Amino acid sequence: MKVDVKKKVRIIHKAMDSIRKSEKTLHTISFYRIADELNMPFGELTEFFLNIEDIFLNEQKRVNQKLEIFIEEGLDAAKTANDYKELLENLTTEFINHLPDHADLVLSAAFYLPKCIEERQRAKKYYRTVFRKIIKRGWPGKIDTVLERQTDLLLLSAYGLYEYCAKSGKRERKAIQKDFVNMINLHLQDRLFF
Amino acid sequence: MNIASNNLKDKVVNKAISSLRKNKRIEQVSIPAIAAELDVSIEEISSFYTTTEDIFLEAQKKDWESLHRFWDRHIKKSKTPGDFKNSFEIFFEKFVDSLSKDADLRLELSCYLPKCIKYRDKNRKRVKQKLKKLINKGWPGKDEKVLERQSELVTILFYGFIDHIVHIPKNERTKILRDFRNMLNLHLQDRKFF
Repeated sequence: MKVDVKKKVRIIHKAMDSIRKSEKTLHTISFYRIADELNMPFGELTEFFLNIEDIFLNEQKRVNQKLEIFIEEGLDAAKTANDYKELLENLTTEFINHLPDHADLVLSAAFYLPKCIEERQRAKKYYRTVFRKIIKRGWPGKIDTVLERQTDLLLLSAYGLYEYCAKSGKRERKAIQKDFVNMINLHLQDRLFF
Repeated sequence: MNIASNNLKDKVVNKAISSLRKNKRIEQVSIPAIAAELDVSIEEISSFYTTTEDIFLEAQKKDWESLHRFWDRHIKKSKTPGDFKNSFEIFFEKFVDSLSKDADLRLELSCYLPKCIKYRDKNRKRVKQKLKKLINKGWPGKDEKVLERQSELVTILFYGFIDHIVHIPKNERTKILRDFRNMLNLHLQDRKFF
């Protein structure tokens, strides 16, 4: 696969524009048409991406990888409970900053295209492990069942936030992020959990 | 529409879903194949649905319309804050109860097929409006800004909840439903909201 970043980005944007304009289901978009719209020989296009699914998988992984690097570095550096709390808060900011304009299309693909579903499932598993660790260290003293239940609630809340942000403008994303973090904090302060 | 037509419509939806479960690809779900399997004419099915996307869209609408009717009956009967809180809670309960065994696939299609996405977005607004009304009446005294922000957050969490619950076994759904409702209650008790 070629590593000409500029060209790769151009292909991604063109593909997303074309899909948005056509209002077709993603799997029916012709890869030949995209090559045509880009004025690029089909052979050259396939040096970057093999098909539509490949473009979406690339986009999905790109954001996930950025967030995962941020998380791993944060976990390595965290020492105190406050560090872990801050990591969770900063993670939501980081997430919002990395979401591309076409996040809604990428999200949509993650519900259907097989490789994207796989990546979504992998990421969800990863975030569950990370959230559990952050809650355990950031809000210590919870028994195991509480930790498990609160992890699930945080995970489902985070995926709700993802769907909302993927479909909203940058300003709305930022506005909701603060409320979201406050609400999660309030919930996690409850040591015994109801 | 008579009972026979309704039964046939349900059978078509079930066949389409089972075909999708088996083949994983929506392009392999075809009206002629469904007609052959159900031993009815293509014209009979085409009088209800013109495309496979239509089949899933109508199924999605049917599920939600039935849920809204149930919810509206409760809202209409509500008089006191307690009643409105109850209507708020009963909605989530009914939602979980009425999930079909193929709820995971139905969700995935509602997030992927363009017409289904449109309906999902429209319905989300409708759900948010009702949640806002119930929060306003069930937890009175909030100013408009707080009400708006809390309604948005509850809607975000609910959509994350949907994504979570359709992917877990039926017997685990009740437990997370209880935790989810408790989390929302804790959040809504905050009259001034941070």
